[in-house]
Amino acid sequence: MNLIRIGSKQAAGVVIGPVFAILAALVAGGIILLIIGFNPLKTYYELFSLGAGTYLGITESLKRMAPLLIMSAGLIIVFKAGVWNIGGNGQFLIGAVLAAGIAPLIMDKLPIFFYFVVLGLLGFIGGASWVCIPAILKAKYEINEIIVTMMMDFIAVNFTSYLVRYPLNAQPGLFPQTAVLPIEKRLPNISLTEVHIGLIVGLVMVVLVHYFIKRTALGYEFRFAGENKKAAIYAGINIKKVIVLAMLLSGGFAGLAGANDVLGIKGSFQAEWNPQYAFSAIPLVFLARFNGFAVIPLAYFFSFLSIGGEFMSRAANVPVFFVQVAEALMLIFFGVSEYLKKRSKLF
Amino acid sequence: MTAGNESVVEMRGITKRFGEVVANDHIDFSLRRGDIHALLGENGAGKTTLMNILSGLYHPDRGEIFIQGRKAKLASPNDALALGVGMVYQHLTLVPTLSVLENILLGTNKKYYLMRKYAEQKLKEISRIYGLEVDLETKIWQLSAGEQERVEIIKLFYRGSDVLILDEPTSFLSPIEIKGFFKVLKNMVASGKSVVFITHKIEEALDISSRITVLSEGEKSGEIDLDGIDIKKEEKQLKNRIVNMMFKKAAFGEGKKKGPEKDSLDAVLTLEGVTATNDRGLETLKEVSFTVHRGEVFGIAGVDGYGQKELAEVIAGQRKVISGRITLNKEDITNMPVSLMNERGIYYITEDRITEGSVANFSLAENAIFRCYKKKPYVKSGIFLNNKAIRDNGNKLIRDYSIKAQDSNDLVKTLSGGNIQKLILARELSYNPSVLVANKPTHGLDVMTTRYIRDEIRARSRRGVSVLLISTDLDELKEVSDRIGVMYKGELIRVVPGKEATKEEIGRLMLGIMN
Repeated sequence: MNLIRIGSKQAAGVVIGPVFAILAALVAGGIILLIIGFNPLKTYYELFSLGAGTYLGITESLKRMAPLLIMSAGLIIVFKAGVWNIGGNGQFLIGAVLAAGIAPLIMDKLPIFFYFVVLGLLGFIGGASWVCIPAILKAKYEINEIIVTMMMDFIAVNFTSYLVRYPLNAQPGLFPQTAVLPIEKRLPNISLTEVHIGLIVGLVMVVLVHYFIKRTALGYEFRFAGENKKAAIYAGINIKKVIVLAMLLSGGFAGLAGANDVLGIKGSFQAEWNPQYAFSAIPLVFLARFNGFAVIPLAYFFSFLSIGGEFMSRAANVPVFFVQVAEALMLIFFGVSEYLKKRSKLF
Repeated sequence: MTAGNESVVEMRGITKRFGEVVANDHIDFSLRRGDIHALLGENGAGKTTLMNILSGLYHPDRGEIFIQGRKAKLASPNDALALGVGMVYQHLTLVPTLSVLENILLGTNKKYYLMRKYAEQKLKEISRIYGLEVDLETKIWQLSAGEQERVEIIKLFYRGSDVLILDEPTSFLSPIEIKGFFKVLKNMVASGKSVVFITHKIEEALDISSRITVLSEGEKSGEIDLDGIDIKKEEKQLKNRIVNMMFKKAAFGEGKKKGPEKDSLDAVLTLEGVTATNDRGLETLKEVSFTVHRGEVFGIAGVDGYGQKELAEVIAGQRKVISGRITLNKEDITNMPVSLMNERGIYYITEDRITEGSVANFSLAENAIFRCYKKKPYVKSGIFLNNKAIRDNGNKLIRDYSIKAQDSNDLVKTLSGGNIQKLILARELSYNPSVLVANKPTHGLDVMTTRYIRDEIRARSRRGVSVLLISTDLDELKEVSDRIGVMYKGELIRVVPGKEATKEEIGRLMLGIMN
């Protein structure tokens, strides 16, 4: 409620933190580039021109936004509720493998629209199912959800790898992957672009979640439990319900992101595929301070970074993990800016 | 009192603003060596802000501070500590799971190993000089509030503080503990320490201090030197003078006396042999049985930590009963969840207004719909919050209960403790309870707010609400309750009539002395 009515001065304050973090990370990243023997100016020029200055770069970045947006929607819910879910990668894979495994079976039996809806739901259910165990352990026995969601990741990686190599392997003997969907059974592009409609799904999800958190009674419960668990119990809120529901929703969104990537880009689930979007989505959601609208530009920025980084590594030979270094630096500097802000408020 | 003339602290023209609010407006304050200087004022008068400035936590917008005659620049509490100025905050800052010694070493230990031997030696000396007895190996959670207060003071002595600022140090102490605590303070100043004593209780200020400075709405409204004044003889005039200073604008009236005896004697809430454990699994509520009637205020007296909190939580539905039965109007409600208790009209004012009774980062309006956010008109079609209704409700409570806030969009963390307590009271009463459980509802509040809350509770009981009033303030219990039950180590050892029982009698029962 209070966030909706912020003044322009406060709005500026909200923007300054992330902007400072991004700029500082680029500077610090530049120093690292210099140390490992690259010209930072030239490298950044290539990063920006390849990632944001070419048609291909922009299209690929917009496609990459979709999974980040969908995953962020779920993370906003779970973090707002004061619970952690850092196993988004595993939930993503389970959602993806479920969609990829079932899609060939139903693609000729359902009208195309329902086919997409059913696969989206399957992805959601897959992701949510993967978070059931951590959610129940957390709600019932107060077992740390950070550790359990993370451990479930390793199981997901190996479990999906097994599925793709054996029961779901479309052509045993060749490269292990699920049956490749024909182009017309993949998500259509937004008209006049080469970006599939997953982007729109992501934008809708993140905005819906934003208003869900701020404007609904259930969202109030989530925020309540996240802000002050003790007071929530005092007010008669069922904390266990909040924990389980928030975790299931966040897992569901991660699974939906997986289905989205299978249906939008890959057309199948290939062995060893693990894009680890959660590691970008988690810092991204923190940088956005759990605000759905702030997630959108940041998601573009992160997508551009990773796409630009991939292109750049081919063109300039800069290791691709430099982008991950830059993302990590952003989070560190964001922490610094939060700290400075707190200090300046205190005095 | 051996008050010298040398001043150890001089604050001149201190001004501090928080946004629009002027918390301190050109305040002068000086502390002489060997003095206990009381800083008196109601909640939000600016006492704590002024002392937070002296202890280095806040920077003044204007004004100068001199410590031991030299101008001081205090960038942090560490700077103040280095100059011998230390503060004990109202909410204590000890680590419950560590021992007394470990807590004292925390933040003072500059070596890589714990300087146990050295510390033990020094602490023994401190407790000998000042008469502060405390066992160094005991864990903090095992100590009473009074003992914890003592640990905080020892901690400051250990750091070599000469000037101690105590923020409402007695608010968590029982009457007996306060006596002992005052003795310690007298010992301290006799050996050359100086104390600033923040309080809103006039009696305490007169009892212990040699000078009183009164703040009102951010301004200094007067200073009284008690040296050479016969306090016993002039008590009445002094009190009147101070009250006038504290409430420049507001009128100060005596509390209304108790209403007529209740004629209706219907049992509303009954407990039979209720036993429950605390958070650590210890049985802190043992076989408690009593009945509260319609329109009755049933007081619960007892030393803090003797099962009162567990009693309140069991009735509110927040804590499970191990054995026994709770009935409301003959319906068994044992171990029902909070929401069902609320549905039946039981509401609970927690003693913990900051961390349980409110959410600091929520607006006042959001804090006012704690138990009713799922109900009309706060929710539309069962899903969406109706922001307008929520804001209007918040503004209504602000008006009806004269809560000091600009409007209901203010975050609760910007309110003072007294106003938060008013908000909690306003909220729980807005649900029209039939049973109200109130745990220390006026604890730590100024005279006006206390008066207000007691009157409100009385008025509700006259309209038929059954009230369970838990308090450590015997005057409050005697004033408001029809009957008073005394708890001792988890048991309800006796129920006495509220009017006839004397404070001494209740005080003895609180210590478990039965005859």
